[in-house]
Amino acid sequence: MRDAFVIALVLFAVWTGWRVFRVDSMVRASFSLMLSFFAVGAIGVLLSAPYIGVATVFMMAVEMMVMAIFMVMFMMNPAGLNPMSMVHQHRLSIGAGAAAFAALAAAALLSELPDAPVPTDKAVVADLGHELLGPSMLIFETAGVTLLATMVGAVILSSRQGRYGMADQGSRPPGLEPGGEPAGRQPDESGGGHHHDHGGHG
Amino acid sequence: MSATLPLLVLLTLAAGAWLAAWLDRLIATGRIEPLAPLRVGAALLLRQRVTTEAPDAMNWRLAPAWYLALAAVGLSVVPFAPGAALIDSPVGIVVWGSCEALTVVTVFLHGWSPNAPFPLIGAYRYAAIGLPVMLPSMFVLIAAALPAESLSLVAVVESQREAWNLVRQPLGLPLFLLVGLTLTLRGPFDYADGEDLAGGTSAEDSGPGRALWQLARLAMLVAFSAMAAAVFLGGPLGPWLPGPVWLWLKTAGIMALTVAAGHWLARTTPGRMLTLLWVGLLPLSFLHLAIAGALAL
Repeated sequence: MRDAFVIALVLFAVWTGWRVFRVDSMVRASFSLMLSFFAVGAIGVLLSAPYIGVATVFMMAVEMMVMAIFMVMFMMNPAGLNPMSMVHQHRLSIGAGAAAFAALAAAALLSELPDAPVPTDKAVVADLGHELLGPSMLIFETAGVTLLATMVGAVILSSRQGRYGMADQGSRPPGLEPGGEPAGRQPDESGGGHHHDHGGHG
Repeated sequence: MSATLPLLVLLTLAAGAWLAAWLDRLIATGRIEPLAPLRVGAALLLRQRVTTEAPDAMNWRLAPAWYLALAAVGLSVVPFAPGAALIDSPVGIVVWGSCEALTVVTVFLHGWSPNAPFPLIGAYRYAAIGLPVMLPSMFVLIAAALPAESLSLVAVVESQREAWNLVRQPLGLPLFLLVGLTLTLRGPFDYADGEDLAGGTSAEDSGPGRALWQLARLAMLVAFSAMAAAVFLGGPLGPWLPGPVWLWLKTAGIMALTVAAGHWLARTTPGRMLTLLWVGLLPLSFLHLAIAGALAL
């Protein structure tokens, strides 16, 4: 019974993962990927890893929400409902996909996986906590800080190139006709120093 | 007990949603009309469904159902009697946290899918406010789990036999109430369905879809109130009366408090609220967690 559930969840995870590249909107792609991760989290719960399984659901719900917002923000598609292609750089992607699949398949086939059922009275959540905040603490903290630095760096690098030109040169909307006057309100030439104030909060 | 738990959860959701709608009306208008919510709901069910140009029909139809399902899952980890929850998960608090996070996704999809301006603005506004609200929520819930030394809600309730968490961690409930206002799209945190956006994410809703969305909001209020009662007021613990009755009484009390806060507190602009959340509430909740941690040591 449990095996049947795991197989069904694996198939669902693969199908929703495939949908990520077939749908025509960033929002749909984000939430397809979220469903794929949910299936993996459910497999974790079935394999006696309740904390990892449920935390995957929790984290992915937040992360994919953030990702949907950021992707729509940086794409030429404000609402995310206009059709657009989710694939690019075909040759590189196919190569990277095949290499990653081969490496992961080799890791799954060549490593020795435990097959003994977990005793029902084992305190798996407490054991995981002792591991995370004990011997593995340095690894996890390093990975966490690295990921955070990567995210901040990626946002800074990608936000310089704005939709209407470089962000640090002031935005200038495109002309109504090619090479013509910019559309909308004219940028204020005299009042320099306003370009730092694009948060608008507080 | 265990055989009646599914029935208890469904009964609590249905009766609690009606009570919440009645309280809403009572506090907003001062009129005592216990049948009015049912009448309004029945009228909505009979009304025709209108649609927008090129919506994402699947997500638009499903969003109210997801919202209702999240309320039901959230309520089912709450113990109705000492040691008896429908889903007795060792990580019950994380299950509830997932329901909170998915509520943000659901409200976003509900506003995104009609492909119309007001719902879309409501959806983005709510996502921007809802995500930072998740952080104080997690700190508050982790603080409540510290005295119990467990993420299981059964253990959290059991740890309050001596003193309620409301007494041990007085900042917890006020902070958690703000989370409840966000989860149920109410008052100062109603950036999704606010009247300044002509109804926001539900601006294009009509007929049965609108009725189900409003019902789901009320059901989420029930689930949130029961969770707050279990985490801060000892849930089903209490003398003389049976466990479920104590839980219902405390849930109704939290519900009245949340509804009143939603009607009486003013809402500010999203930008100011973001500053308040990141600069004010987040450090405050972290301080709360640090104090709870020091006390638990």
